[in-house]
Amino acid sequence: MSARKTEGSSNYEYVNARVRKRRSLLFDDEDYRKLLRMGPSEIARYMEETEYEEEINALGSRYGGVDLIEYALNRNLAKHFDDLLRWADGELYELIARYLRKFDAWNVKTVIRGLYSGADADTIESDLVYAGEFDRQFLDRLTEAGSIEEVVELLDRTRYGDPLADAYADFEETDVLVPLENAVDRSYYEGLLAETPTSSGRAMELYVEFLQAEIDFRNARNALRIARSGADLDPAEYFIEGGQLFRESELSQLSTNVDELSTFIRDSTYGDDLTEALDDLERTDSLIGFEHALDAALLEYSDHLSHVFPLSVCPVLAYVLAKEREVDNIRAIARGREAGLTEDQIESELVIT
Amino acid sequence: MFDAILAMVETSVLFAQGGIDALTPLQAITENGMAALAVGLAALGAGYAERGIGSAAIGAIAEDESLFGTGLIMTVLPETLVILALVVVFLVG
Repeated sequence: MSARKTEGSSNYEYVNARVRKRRSLLFDDEDYRKLLRMGPSEIARYMEETEYEEEINALGSRYGGVDLIEYALNRNLAKHFDDLLRWADGELYELIARYLRKFDAWNVKTVIRGLYSGADADTIESDLVYAGEFDRQFLDRLTEAGSIEEVVELLDRTRYGDPLADAYADFEETDVLVPLENAVDRSYYEGLLAETPTSSGRAMELYVEFLQAEIDFRNARNALRIARSGADLDPAEYFIEGGQLFRESELSQLSTNVDELSTFIRDSTYGDDLTEALDDLERTDSLIGFEHALDAALLEYSDHLSHVFPLSVCPVLAYVLAKEREVDNIRAIARGREAGLTEDQIESELVIT
Repeated sequence: MFDAILAMVETSVLFAQGGIDALTPLQAITENGMAALAVGLAALGAGYAERGIGSAAIGAIAEDESLFGTGLIMTVLPETLVILALVVVFLVG
């Protein structure tokens, strides 16, 4: 269940050719500018003329407005990412799956939250994103589970089994979801870098570096949030192993002070890429801008890698990131319009490179 | 791939032994045999190159059928290697 056994060598040529074509279908600046001026129903109509046609048509009778856009986006994302896993063979599959397990974590969390809040199976199911490694049948069994305990038992044989079982005891004591969700997230992030890939080479080194950057950024983001909120939390509890920027002890120390933390990041290897973002953070005092700058930096880096190493996992990864951003952006526009935000406000929520 | 090359070299040695009278003392293979080997190796290289191009072309065609022509041309491009290698046969023979 956790990893499909694939045979043979990786088929980088095939997957990359298809990915490049799909990449060219993503929305560009022009599209976003148009979308920014539209209301939710217009956005849905606009999407119907693009590659979201199938999903909008399929869901059009069941949902309307922003929900329609949201579900269509999720379904389209799942379709594309599922295709990636379907095409890839050998090591390439393993490398892609490693990253897409993010959606397994997302689904597990959705199911747990749904059960916690007492939602019925249909409601939970509509919020799942079928993009990860768990197949539809397994996810159906999860949604039909009667209690959180049953879900934990069902996940027993997957990578989330042991951490979840440990966290369940905590959950029973305190009746808050935080330990369970942390356990899921942590096993995802730790799985990212576990069992380093067998083949070596510059492209693989960079892939590992890229994942480390992802973990570092996540740590930086968490630390900043803790520092900013001023909450009395132990940052070490949210620390993710595997990055190269922070050590656990450093992070606890740094997260008490925003200025120290931003100086620390400025002096690190990511300093060059993030200078602008850090300046922005100090000037406007807004975390949103900084977080978007982190996303944009990752996106740009992955784009750069995909040009330098055309026959590696890098173009696929760049596509996955770009697609995720697109979905987030469209969702932000639709939700923003619904809430009546101005164009400028919505634009500040977008990540466009 | 190297197994295949070794096997080819071995068979060519056998052929050469068959016509042993025609050979000068230090020669293990005739000139024609050598030329044939050159063509064979070139074809092997072309095949290997086409493997990658072909799978990329199929990927592109699956996404967009109008790329069929371009894909086909790109796929058979390494075939020129074999044609050039055939020149050797005429030079030797």
